[in-house]
Amino acid sequence: MTDTMANSLKQAKTLRDPTIDPVTVRQSRPGQDEGDRRERSRRHRPSRVVFTILLVVSLLLLFPVYWIFVTALKSPNQLASGGTLLWPAPAHFENFIHAVTDIAFLVYAANSVFLSTVSGLLTTLSSALVGYGFARLRGPGKNVLFGVLIAMMMMPGIITLIPTYLLFARVGLVGTYWPWVLWGAAAAPYLIFLYRQFFAGLPKELEEAAVLDGCSQARIFWQIFLPLSKPVLVTAFVMSFAGVWGDFISPMLLLDNSNTTLAVALTNGYVNEKGFPLNNLIAAGAILYVIPLVLIFVFIQRRYVQGLSATGIK
Amino acid sequence: MSAASSSVHPASRPRFYQTTRWRQGRDFYLFVSPWVVGTILLTIFPLAYAFGVSLTNWDGISPGFRWVGFDNYAKVLSNPETWASLGRTGMLALVVVPITVVGSLVLAVLLNNKVRFRAGWRTLIYLPAVVPPVAATLTWKLLFERDSGAVNAILGLFGRDAVNWMTGQQVFIVLIVVMLWGIGGGVIINLAALQDVPQELLEAAELDGAGHWRRFVSVTVPTISPVLLFQFVTTTIGVLQTFVPALLLSPGSGAAAITSVPESNRLFMIDVYAEYFAFSRYGYASAMLWLFFVVILLITGIFFKVSGRTVFYAVDPSAGGRND
Repeated sequence: MTDTMANSLKQAKTLRDPTIDPVTVRQSRPGQDEGDRRERSRRHRPSRVVFTILLVVSLLLLFPVYWIFVTALKSPNQLASGGTLLWPAPAHFENFIHAVTDIAFLVYAANSVFLSTVSGLLTTLSSALVGYGFARLRGPGKNVLFGVLIAMMMMPGIITLIPTYLLFARVGLVGTYWPWVLWGAAAAPYLIFLYRQFFAGLPKELEEAAVLDGCSQARIFWQIFLPLSKPVLVTAFVMSFAGVWGDFISPMLLLDNSNTTLAVALTNGYVNEKGFPLNNLIAAGAILYVIPLVLIFVFIQRRYVQGLSATGIK
Repeated sequence: MSAASSSVHPASRPRFYQTTRWRQGRDFYLFVSPWVVGTILLTIFPLAYAFGVSLTNWDGISPGFRWVGFDNYAKVLSNPETWASLGRTGMLALVVVPITVVGSLVLAVLLNNKVRFRAGWRTLIYLPAVVPPVAATLTWKLLFERDSGAVNAILGLFGRDAVNWMTGQQVFIVLIVVMLWGIGGGVIINLAALQDVPQELLEAAELDGAGHWRRFVSVTVPTISPVLLFQFVTTTIGVLQTFVPALLLSPGSGAAAITSVPESNRLFMIDVYAEYFAFSRYGYASAMLWLFFVVILLITGIFFKVSGRTVFYAVDPSAGGRND
């Protein structure tokens, strides 16, 4: 019943001519002309209140960002004197150079890039394969497996990580990058679900001709479906890349000082001769560590949100 | 003619491995095999292994161990620290989960208005959610720093004495703040859900005389309830497992960090980790791990049981793709 209702609503939406329906115009187009906005604000008058709330919330959420820059630009003496909220004068931009040179920053960064890229690419591809299987193929036990997949999305990560580490230690994989290859090849439930929703929504005609021609499923997947799934591929890669880049526990458990990632190096690298943490360099290092993620997300935000909403979890 | 008639004769049916059904099943399992094999090797087997270890007195180092049955479980359950750390973890969830879920819904509703610079607000609110837990914790640690932190500087403006935020009960507040900073992730998901609420339904309700609040409660919330439930469950599971922020808010660094976590931040996973890697009590730690696993499973199960009556699905979630 709800299905038919949704369908008829969709039809009504496409049939209606928006130019002759002022309500729809007002509801559906952001950034209206001045008169329209004034009329609306007279009717509901929410804008100013909403604007103020958003301003306060944003300031609260962004103040830490301001502060980490302030801290990163202070000298040890300026840090010690404390007590002020103002931008430091003079600002010590050379702290960023120290953050990169005082520890093997570039080596750790390269480790992070390498691990995140390899694991991200593997996860993106393996999840696509599995998602395709669940969306377009039939097999005994499929529904049960799909239930298991959903349950795995709720699987508590750190609870399985510790015993996995114990096992990796027994087979000599601790200190190597192989665990990330294995995790990458094993696909990620959430991304499988994302692909599955996407592939299930594509029309049946896509592979029918290919199946009649005796094309193998591998070729249908590789040549027809994978090229169509570019938006999901991008989302999946960014999500898995960011996941590995931000992960702290796995490299802390599995890697050592010589081959660990930036996430771990940040927390124990910046200390003075007496072993006390150098807060200004920690701040500068943390900024450099986060910037790539922020840039990626700002640039692909729209696509990322589309990918998220494509999952149908919502 | 005779060839054609013999091909429909039951005796010469194609063998099972030649049928379409078999081929389809084979293809299905080939495609899903990375995940099936991966789950068995990297999730199920490790959990089973931990269960095995939980029945021993193994210390993780020496080659020998003794089977002790369920002794470790009895010890865990009779240890007051177990209940204390469960209590702290539950308290964290009780504070963080409702604020995150309700707060991100409210922010999404505000952003769904036609407010100026909407895309800009969205990006700003989402930004902290992009920051990984390590960097988020380090950032807040600098804000709450006793002598050079901003929080004490602000308190100073009001003539208040500097607070030592990294000890006592205060550090639990810092932990809560770190957890709440990522609220923007939920905002983005809720916003996407809100934009899928059929305008026509809202307009129909408005014509029927429903006010803002009534439309929100009777149309919007039921429509997006699956998203809210999903968020509620995943946030709860995530908060219960909190580990990195609590670890990094300790004064120590490196291997010493785990044993220097202030008491009010000794969450359950902190205790588990310490039992494994600081005290080398693998058997006992594995029993803790398994008990916690069961607790999380139960909580998740209860959520879904309760939600069966209250969550509205526009599309039957158990209906599959085109092949089902």
